[in-house]
Amino acid sequence: MKNYSQPNTLGRFGEYGGMYVSETLMPLLLDLDQSYQKIQKDKKFHKELEDLFKNYVGRPSALHHAKNLSAYLNGPKVYFKRDELNHTGAHKINNCLGQILLAKKMGKTRIIAETGAGQHGVATATVCALFGLPCYIYMGSKDIERQKPNVFRMKLLGAKIIPVESGSKSLKDAMNEALRDWIKNVRDTFYIIGSTAGPHPYPKMVRDFQSVIGKEAREQILKIEKKLPDYLIACVGGGSNAMGLFYPFLNDKKVQIIGVEAAGKGPKTNQTAATMTSGTPGILHGSYSYVLQDNDGQIKEAHSISAGLDYPGVGPEHSHLKDIKRAKYYGVTDKEALNAFQLCSKLEGIIPALEPSHALAYLIKAFKNKAKGKTIILNLCGRGDKDLFTAAKAIGFDADE
Amino acid sequence: MNKLDHLPSKNILSLFMTCGFPTLSQSKKVFHELLSHQPDIIEFGLPFSDPMADGPVIQESSKIALKSKITTKQSLNLIAQLKKGSDKTAFVIMCYLNTVQKYGIQKFIKEIKNIVDGLIIVDLPFEEEKPIKNILDKNNIHLIKLISPMTDQKRSKRLLKEAKGFVYYISATGITGSNKLDYQEINKNVLALKKQTKIPVLVGFGIKSKKDVMAISKNTKADGVIIGSALIQKYFDLKMNFTSYIISLRKFIKEVKI
Ligand SMILES: Cc1ncc(COP(=O)(O)O)c(C=O)c1O
Repeated sequence: MKNYSQPNTLGRFGEYGGMYVSETLMPLLLDLDQSYQKIQKDKKFHKELEDLFKNYVGRPSALHHAKNLSAYLNGPKVYFKRDELNHTGAHKINNCLGQILLAKKMGKTRIIAETGAGQHGVATATVCALFGLPCYIYMGSKDIERQKPNVFRMKLLGAKIIPVESGSKSLKDAMNEALRDWIKNVRDTFYIIGSTAGPHPYPKMVRDFQSVIGKEAREQILKIEKKLPDYLIACVGGGSNAMGLFYPFLNDKKVQIIGVEAAGKGPKTNQTAATMTSGTPGILHGSYSYVLQDNDGQIKEAHSISAGLDYPGVGPEHSHLKDIKRAKYYGVTDKEALNAFQLCSKLEGIIPALEPSHALAYLIKAFKNKAKGKTIILNLCGRGDKDLFTAAKAIGFDADE
Repeated sequence: MNKLDHLPSKNILSLFMTCGFPTLSQSKKVFHELLSHQPDIIEFGLPFSDPMADGPVIQESSKIALKSKITTKQSLNLIAQLKKGSDKTAFVIMCYLNTVQKYGIQKFIKEIKNIVDGLIIVDLPFEEEKPIKNILDKNNIHLIKLISPMTDQKRSKRLLKEAKGFVYYISATGITGSNKLDYQEINKNVLALKKQTKIPVLVGFGIKSKKDVMAISKNTKADGVIIGSALIQKYFDLKMNFTSYIISLRKFIKEVKI
């Protein structure tokens, strides 16, 4: 595969993606696409973003050789791309800064976002505080319950949180409500989508803003190891941290790419969020991609212990990479992720978020006593502070506030 | 013959109702009631789990219909049954793309052929419509165009170039069931659309009462109205008493049929 250049001008990654929205939003998306194309050529914009990445987020994020985990595995040499060290504790801030600069350029005066784990909500509330824009965050009431620390953070940052009671009361429903808000307030509102999902141009735009992760990692590993890694591993919810890491390596054919989804209680149960391993292609939130759905095309409710992965859809570019076999996708259960969460904390002194704990779990499962002499970069895209109560409860530790 | 090509020249009435709401058997009674008033058009909503362009009332109706496990096949059968003896009313299906896609586009269209005159796919914009529109055209089913206040004239001209049936003008930026109506703005936009097409322009979203219907008729050059949420809302207003619901629908439709 030489010169990967997706999506096309209509936002298609192979057959996936597109713009499946009502006519009220369509002119807006076309306008957003135009503005995004323009801003990409704007040197001032890139300079501003680079400056924020460096001085506000703390980029570049480190590439840490996880020696103890590597020794435990008795297999490959594992590096962590440490986006959990970013300001606000996850990769989400990379994308939010890009989008808010665009919103400013477009003259928008009100910001909305959906959030699952609350990481995207916190990152959005943060950039809104920084740029002085009013911020409205849609969040499922189930997620509000299990991500309390982030709810409080968003409030401190001045955002208004709108609880969503429909459906499974989690990320999918929050996104439905955010889209409805946008349809109602098209003229002044900018919708900062938090993942590589949704209609074009979001999957492309979010990928581009997140690809700073992969660009840095590529330079860093070449400097340290003098060669490209053999594997990349990242967790996939909507797919933004994974696309961010993968994208700059797509033309490097020898680099094997692995996305890890949340399989909840198991990929064959009804309580899973492993869209690409258990789903089929369909249309959700404006794009054509793999989704969890029944025979009638009704979208199923997802389940994962990790609120950030609890989504029945996935970004269209991942569907494309799966179909052309450029990347492989696997599911990991709640239990496996929880074990990895604890192991990583003990071995490396890094408490990961439950989302990248899924990537860690796959690493431990698939690479124990295997692939000796190979190198792996794993995207440690978030820290575990937000998950302490959920994890304590699941593990059976009494951490009552 | 496609009934949408023979709509009256003014005060067109289109009624939207969710299939399978509240239950499949009650839904049949609801549609019989609607059809007995011989509205010009009935829009059959196919329930979808994630109706992102719909407001709380239609969302709730979808949810209730899906709770009693209605399938697309059952909705289509219901529509086919209702067709017999309703030769005054044009039949339109309103749905989301995933429903059609999952059923199989060819199969879906084959089954609604000769029963349904028009199809509205809420989340299928002009840019993505071609593959479906080609098959619909061959089967004499009109793909109805939605136009919103965000659609500028250059765009609406492109959208309406080959439009058939009627134009669904979304009267406010918003989801179904929104409530602000600005007649001056509506009229301005309707007039602009009428310069671009000969087919009727119907105003939908936010029409709740006889007063609204009269006002649209009097203050704008729109050819008619679409009423949806207001029909469904009555069920909740009446605390889900089905018998009273049918009676109140009867009274309401008599009022809005001007
Ligand atoms: C730390 C972390 N990782 C991953 C995700 C999943 O999103 P994505 O797949 O877009 O990276 C989230 C979402 O909230 C998150 O907070």
